[in-house]
Amino acid sequence: MSCNHHPDLSTLLNYGAGSLSDALAMVVACHLESCEHCRHTVTEAENIGMALLKEVSADDMSRNARDNMLAMLDDHAIEPPQVVIETPQKEGDIPTQLRPLIGQWFADLKWSRVAPGLKQFILPASDGKLRLLNIAPGTFMPAHGHSGSELTLVLKGSYSDELGRFRAGDVADVDPDVTHQPVADTHEGCICLIATDAPLRFKGLVPRLLQPFFQL
Amino acid sequence: MLVDLAKHQDKLLFMQLYDYFSPRIKSFLVKKGASAELAEELVQETMLTVWKKAASYDPEKATASTWLFRIARNLWIDRLRKEKPDLLSPLSVYPETGYTPNMDVCDSGKIKSALDSLPLQQAQLVYKVYYEGKTHREIADDMGMPIGSVKSGLRLAFDKLRFRMGGES
Repeated sequence: MSCNHHPDLSTLLNYGAGSLSDALAMVVACHLESCEHCRHTVTEAENIGMALLKEVSADDMSRNARDNMLAMLDDHAIEPPQVVIETPQKEGDIPTQLRPLIGQWFADLKWSRVAPGLKQFILPASDGKLRLLNIAPGTFMPAHGHSGSELTLVLKGSYSDELGRFRAGDVADVDPDVTHQPVADTHEGCICLIATDAPLRFKGLVPRLLQPFFQL
Repeated sequence: MLVDLAKHQDKLLFMQLYDYFSPRIKSFLVKKGASAELAEELVQETMLTVWKKAASYDPEKATASTWLFRIARNLWIDRLRKEKPDLLSPLSVYPETGYTPNMDVCDSGKIKSALDSLPLQQAQLVYKVYYEGKTHREIADDMGMPIGSVKSGLRLAFDKLRFRMGGES
């Protein structure tokens, strides 16, 4: 899968540094599964991290730490190399990263209807910050802005908005000042994984009335 | 080095790594807000993981020190989760994917001159991301800047750093 839209460089930098919120980091992790380009960029961010770590002034360990370490080496042998076995991918359309949490098939999820043509599934334990949206063909999302960061990964189908066309594997990394109104633009509809670190801000009265349904 | 270490179960070689990295990782974690005790505990855990997994380290996929950085970062994030169990605790957001080969590890002098070449504000942003572990939003609040400006500053900084350190830009 080759992607046309990637997370912002600054998002990948924070991910590599370990300074991205969990919800956003999960979306990046799912994108990395299919994007070698971004895996490379994350490695560059990690290299910068290591260089910065080497720069800090050394902080002496307490006196026993070294001996304790030596003792632990005696107790623990080096483990045989982990052979990465290419297990045939279990069937399913949900990204592997998410499967431990929600299973394998989108169709098995308990979607809740938010508005005509719009269903959502809020990931457990995500504090409402990570959700799947299922947009029926031709359906417009309510136009919305953000008070924080939003990352959207297309998992199935595609959508278009003011920023372009997003297909499976693509990520929209939207700045807070952007207002957009996505529409599912193929006959199969569109499923996206969306992470926010702050509530969405809908424009207009009707969408604002929908907010309680989004649990925002 | 790690490859030899694993082949010969070489404790002396390992302790050289330990003596170099442990005080630095400790200091790095303390900067991020760990107490001295917690930082030491995580240092020991990191280094023990390095020892146990040395045979799985693949020089084709990452430089040894980047590998070590990942281990320390992931252990730190796991610990943060345990302390404030908010999100996604059962899931790792850092999968063990086969990362691609990367640029040579830079000597630390390079990062210093690269950072010095950045405009002050961009360098500050980089510090906050790596040393303070702050998100874009937190940095925006700290510095009284819009999130969009935080991101564009980091974008520029990242591009310059990776270029100066010998990666592609």
